[in-house]
Amino acid sequence: MTAPVLANRRPLLLTGLAGTLLVVGVVAAGSGQVQIAPAEVVASVLHRLGLEIGALPAAPHGENALWIVRFPRVVLAGIVGASLGCAGAVMQGIFGNPLAEPGVIGVSSGAAVGAALAIVTGISTLGGWTLAAAAFAGGLATTYLVYALSRADGRTEVVTLVLTGIAVNAVAGAAIGLLMFVTDAAGVQAIAFWNLGSLAQANWNAVAVALPCLAVGLTAALASAGKLDLLALGERSARHLGVDVERLRVRMIVVTALLGAAAVAFTGVISFIGLVVPHLVRMVAGPGHRVLLPASALGGAVVVIAADLAARTLVEYQELPLGVLTAVVGGPAFFWLLRRTRRRAGGWG
Amino acid sequence: MSPPSARLLGRRPTRLLGRRRPVRVPATRPAGTALIEIDRLRVELGGRAVLDQVDLVVHTGEVVALVGPNGAGKSTLLAAIGGDVAAAGGAIRVDGAPQSAWTSTELALRRAVLTQRSVLSFPFTVAEVVRMGRAPWAGLPAEESDDPIVEECLAATDVARFADRTFTSLSGGEQARAALARVLAQRAAALLLDEPTAALDLHHQELVLRLARQRAAAGDAVVVVLHDLGLAGAYADRIALLSAGRLRAVGPPDQVLTGALLSEVYRHDIEVLPHPETRLPLVVPRRQHPTRQRKEPPT
Amino acid sequence: MNRPTLVGLLAAALLVGPVAGCADSAANPGAAPEPATCGPVTAVVADDAVTPLDPAPQPALPVTVTDAAGDRVTVTDADRILAVNLYGSIAEIVFSLGLGDRVVGRDTSTDFPAAADLPLVTPGGHDLSTEAVMALDPSVVLLDDSIGPPEVLDQLRAAGIPVVRIGDEQSLAAVPVHIREVAAALGVADAGEALVARVEGEIAAARDGIADDAERPRVAFLYLRGTAGVYLMGGEGAGSDAMIAAAGGEDAGTAIGLARFRPLTSEGLINAAPDVILVMTKGLESVGGVDGLVAMPGVAQTPAGQQRRIIDMDDTVLLNFGTRTGKAIQALARAIHECR
Repeated sequence: MTAPVLANRRPLLLTGLAGTLLVVGVVAAGSGQVQIAPAEVVASVLHRLGLEIGALPAAPHGENALWIVRFPRVVLAGIVGASLGCAGAVMQGIFGNPLAEPGVIGVSSGAAVGAALAIVTGISTLGGWTLAAAAFAGGLATTYLVYALSRADGRTEVVTLVLTGIAVNAVAGAAIGLLMFVTDAAGVQAIAFWNLGSLAQANWNAVAVALPCLAVGLTAALASAGKLDLLALGERSARHLGVDVERLRVRMIVVTALLGAAAVAFTGVISFIGLVVPHLVRMVAGPGHRVLLPASALGGAVVVIAADLAARTLVEYQELPLGVLTAVVGGPAFFWLLRRTRRRAGGWG
Repeated sequence: MSPPSARLLGRRPTRLLGRRRPVRVPATRPAGTALIEIDRLRVELGGRAVLDQVDLVVHTGEVVALVGPNGAGKSTLLAAIGGDVAAAGGAIRVDGAPQSAWTSTELALRRAVLTQRSVLSFPFTVAEVVRMGRAPWAGLPAEESDDPIVEECLAATDVARFADRTFTSLSGGEQARAALARVLAQRAAALLLDEPTAALDLHHQELVLRLARQRAAAGDAVVVVLHDLGLAGAYADRIALLSAGRLRAVGPPDQVLTGALLSEVYRHDIEVLPHPETRLPLVVPRRQHPTRQRKEPPT
Repeated sequence: MNRPTLVGLLAAALLVGPVAGCADSAANPGAAPEPATCGPVTAVVADDAVTPLDPAPQPALPVTVTDAAGDRVTVTDADRILAVNLYGSIAEIVFSLGLGDRVVGRDTSTDFPAAADLPLVTPGGHDLSTEAVMALDPSVVLLDDSIGPPEVLDQLRAAGIPVVRIGDEQSLAAVPVHIREVAAALGVADAGEALVARVEGEIAAARDGIADDAERPRVAFLYLRGTAGVYLMGGEGAGSDAMIAAAGGEDAGTAIGLARFRPLTSEGLINAAPDVILVMTKGLESVGGVDGLVAMPGVAQTPAGQQRRIIDMDDTVLLNFGTRTGKAIQALARAIHECR
């Protein structure tokens, strides 16, 4: 892969992904039980912006379906995908390993424990928000726990982080099992269903919370894109080049926790996005983080919107759990990636 | 040329929080200035003293070779100068101030370190890796000359033809040279090179040390860890001989590279002979003629 | 998930009865039960599924009600009704009121013939799909807390569809309350009273039909799902306890102190020692019929398992506390008391 080819690919990739995002978004917004053509979708948006172009949806409650049900769902799917894609790329940069993803530091399992606690105790102090808030808090708390436990002498080593993450994830899994044992059948079902992942509860309020988290996380990550590149040289050499490795690591863990928890809180556990999307982007555009981060965000958004579209249209009247769908597709994709990159000289690429 | 996308996305995003005090850029020092001052340095690892009572001053314009047997503490000393290990006793000053007085970036502007092994977790190209050496200069006026400096360093270490290949696809020796190019691109006045010749063939070994001499002539201070005493004798202005964590001798090659001293430190019979033409020291271990097994013809 | 039709159930009951050696008095209501050896029996609600009021009432609209959640809702049009909940009871009430021809969609528990062809709006059983509802363009939606999620209700309200919450207490005393709430929301309060009178009469008749000195056998309600070996027993407040008590039995789950549905170990089941085991028809099928149930650990050691006294009943009538409750109690009582 020569540099001029790569350099040309990068702006192409970003614009290509942005364009695909728009198309997939319009198609997804037009699909569902209320029949709305893509042209009507675009027209509806334009009308809201004040441009009276095109015909509004003809189906009864068409406008309502679009603006109350579909758009929040598609937008939230995009936000969740972007958060997970970016968080995955950041984690891989920090750990210097393409196998890293937000789940490693305990975000998903911690959020699941938080959600399970909320379901079992039946607390509803924040009304419909309680579950999401509990999941969010759980994700952040577990990440902090993993980080604090793996610190020694003011430093966190990558291997220690991973091992601590594994241990904490195992404990969280056991905690969830215990909660499922304690609660009644309805509670078990609710917890299990939450764990499978779904965008069915998407609404504009959820978007209003998730969007700022994505904005802050993505901006903070982009600001450190150059430093993340330098980490590829190894901790020592990065330090020699002026990178405060410890501070960068803390900052990026916070960013990942924010992005990951915001995503998981609303949708349950959706896996493999943070793992596979950055990998694919690297294959096309190289590992430079200035392109990798926004491309992973865009790519993740496209993937989750498409997956959600499939989840709600593949089977008549049923909604496949989103997390299951991404795992079913992402798992084999990951195996393929694994074998392909292992074969290449030099290992991980 | 840097890819257009890099310019599009901006090389230096604005800071979101807080203001930092401006970075103190190093001024050019006249030749002979003490750039690195090591004063009674003591380093402990695992409770054991790995370096003890090390006094050394490295000046601009000179090449100092660190030599000694395995485990003598050469790499540890280099790591201490580079700021990777903490001193249990004594102090190290860089550019006139203690290491702790400089920020990470300011230190990076003053000293560049080439580690023994070069790792790369992701498949950056060689040109991208060398460009990483320019990172400390981001946001400073010198940033303008990034492109020509990168090209120059690629050519200097003879890796220009690999510029667009992924770093990991290079052989060990080629990777070592590319890493050196990165270190050179950093344009720091103090160059700390840990066994830069280990993986290189003869041609490139000489190339690298000639580069070290050129940098010294241009006003840098170069500290090189070497195993090959002949190379040290040929290219270094001074040699620091380490043994069991202590500085056994420091001085010009003809003072330090003596048969008696080397034999004592390396615990092997060593002769130092002058080259017939150049008079440069040839360091030769005294070897027994290996016994040969000879098949007697049957009688 | 299609449920067998009522005719199919009757046929199955006719087949099962003689084979099991116990006359199924459900096939000919009113015939005296034969005191033969007792075995498994399917309790069937004998009459037609849902009897609508005749003549069908005319809704007097607009009407403003305060629903069970405390919100004031105004219904202006009752031409397109969507009545859904987990148990199918609200739809049952609407059809019983005679307004069945205005219903545009159904939930998974509503499978009586008059409604079986309506589009399904609860894909998972207990979760409403906003889009499916919108696609049907209803003019009023009746539901309760058994169906969710709450965000869907907000979305429907935002779309301008009146949503009326009905109470969701699953008990005999609540049946008339729910009927009155549904009738009020649809502007047919008088018809509601008539329906209440009918249903209460059926429940009273069912209770009276049980002799005062009849034995009260211990009945355990088991919720079965497949052969994983884990089953839930209904206890106090599960709903099954009320039905069993009304049918003249003693709820085994309540007797051993269970509340609502709890997983039960085989030892627990042996300790509960039920004389009769009550299950849902679909659940019984999922464990492989009566033989499969008796083979499950713990069951064969209970009096019910030893004598194979297994009563199965259609899911949609046993626990839904709708308008067919009286008939359901009758059928259950017959099945419990017939072999003595």
